[in-house]
Amino acid sequence: MSTSTPYVPRRVRHSDADLIAQDLAIEFDDSGFSEDTSWDEHPLTQQTPVIQTVDPKNVCLVVDDASMTYRVRSSSDYKNSESKISRGIKKVTGSGWAEVPALSNLSFIVNRGESVGVIGTNGSGKSTLMKLLTGKVRPTSGEVYATSTPVMLGVNAALVKEISGKENIRLGCLAMGLSPEQADAKYEQIVEISGLSNSLDMPLKTYSSGMASRLQFAIATSVDPDILLIDEALNTGDAQFRARTKKRLDEVRARAGCVFLVSHSLGTIKQMCTRVIWIEQGEMLADGDPQWVCQQYEEYTAHKSNDRMRSAKVVYERTRLQLNPVQVDFTNDSRPSKA
Amino acid sequence: MWSARRHIRRIEVSGRNMAMAAPTIERAEESDESFEARKVAQLDGTNLIRVGARPGLFRYIREIWSFRHFLYYDSHSRVSSANSYDSLGRVWMILNPILFGTAYFFVFGVLLQTGRGIDNFIGYLIIGVFTFRFFTAAVSGGANAIAGNQRVVQAFNFPRACLVISSTLRELFSSIPMFFVMALLVLTIGDTPLEGAEAPPISVTWHWLLFFPCIALALMVMLGWSLALARAVNAHNDVKHLISFSTRILFYTSAVFFSPDRWANIGADWLVTVMHLNPLFCVLDIIRQAWLYDSFADPARWIVLGSWAVGSILIGFLIFWHGEENYGKER
Repeated sequence: MSTSTPYVPRRVRHSDADLIAQDLAIEFDDSGFSEDTSWDEHPLTQQTPVIQTVDPKNVCLVVDDASMTYRVRSSSDYKNSESKISRGIKKVTGSGWAEVPALSNLSFIVNRGESVGVIGTNGSGKSTLMKLLTGKVRPTSGEVYATSTPVMLGVNAALVKEISGKENIRLGCLAMGLSPEQADAKYEQIVEISGLSNSLDMPLKTYSSGMASRLQFAIATSVDPDILLIDEALNTGDAQFRARTKKRLDEVRARAGCVFLVSHSLGTIKQMCTRVIWIEQGEMLADGDPQWVCQQYEEYTAHKSNDRMRSAKVVYERTRLQLNPVQVDFTNDSRPSKA
Repeated sequence: MWSARRHIRRIEVSGRNMAMAAPTIERAEESDESFEARKVAQLDGTNLIRVGARPGLFRYIREIWSFRHFLYYDSHSRVSSANSYDSLGRVWMILNPILFGTAYFFVFGVLLQTGRGIDNFIGYLIIGVFTFRFFTAAVSGGANAIAGNQRVVQAFNFPRACLVISSTLRELFSSIPMFFVMALLVLTIGDTPLEGAEAPPISVTWHWLLFFPCIALALMVMLGWSLALARAVNAHNDVKHLISFSTRILFYTSAVFFSPDRWANIGADWLVTVMHLNPLFCVLDIIRQAWLYDSFADPARWIVLGSWAVGSILIGFLIFWHGEENYGKER
């Protein structure tokens, strides 16, 4: 859950080890154990969980222990196979499965009115999380629940290449569930946002990638979804387009119940979000105040880019120790199962 | 005291990991330090939905209905672009079956003489080749409708069956000019007399109207097969290879270029039974009887075709609907 207040240490430090830890800027949470429990493998977690009731009226989106492992075909997978025979078979047929873990055990609850920024280095699982949230992919374990199906605003998904821009606009509108009359009504607005009025009769395959993404953005923003996911790629485009999109994006954002923003631009995140989730190596590392999380993230990436792995590790550890993982529990069998 | 020991161990652990500066150094340690939740959030989930869940069957059908405009527009707009990479464009839709028909005529009609004893063999072959092409193009197009449209699937939320239905409709729309050419060819050269067979003259009668209900039933069969295959192809790409193989088998068991009587004469009755149970043979037979010989086909053809139509659309739809949650998965 959100901890929008800055972190407050929960105990007084006294031991030597704590001082060492402090020097290393690692903060340990030892409050829950004594000598008696020292045999335990996970002393850090020896706490009674705090049970908190969440008002169902405010909840917009719940991610309950979602994990994702991709299973992809790989022709070099045979190298990892242990048995000699299966190795041989896989090598000859050239087909094996490689398992790619992308996200593990993510849980959080987003309330109405929150703007959540999602940050993380490349390959940390941000895009996977977005896919899970829109329901395109079902998590390998765990589930995602929401009040309505979240809508992704991205420019990665291209439309039908063979047909003209005009037809793509109409097709896109209809694919989002608009009636033909509504699609006609939205047409002008889409053309205006995309700024492509001169080339709308050309087939999409003649468009540059920038033009195609502008069109995709304009189509995607023609509806006002309740739960909105915005992809970082919207930062692309020339200055003129960016100014136009910003206006429209603000409108859509204002109307949405809650917003997710995936971005590498910490400035945008700090400016737009009330809460930030930092995902690293497929795990949630921090969830809370944008200023604090972004600061940790900046420090982490700075260490990493300068190849200071030890320092990066320290930042990583100290950030993770402040994470307050939440477990979702549905009262009286109210766990949703239907669409 | 204890915590001092523990911290030293921790630092050692960290130090060990530091040595391997792989991108996943953090991950390596996760296993022995898993955090359990310290906070449990209790909530009432009655007004939440599971994102991406498959709707119930009747709701699914209602959703498809509400996306009917999308469906229609998708099939319609893509007809015009089907051959946009060829310089002859849409002419290929007509040229292709004509070329195939000519080739089959020379191979089977002239060289192998499979048409011996068939009245109006040229018309017989034209109807066979054109309709067969329509049928298989629709099924293989529909089977690829999900796997080949991943971009649209990823971008929008709509009942995925729309894509398969629109692909079948698209094939129907794009075949309309082809059917006109087929009728024209049958009328003009269909009754050219060949050696060893009679050539009753062909003219347009009201029997020709039987073509429409027959094609409608054929569409239902095609849609049912496409729906089932679309799921299979999306799950296992390997199925594609089997489709082209099955198309061949279907071609030889549908009496496209010969008459099933040929097998009855040599006593292979089981082969004749297989053909009579083949929906595509029923389609061809009904159209041929109506167009070439100005008569009704055996009512058994209608019964077999009708059962295939209802059976395949029900089973295909159920199979497709059951896999609704898997179509966005990347392969």
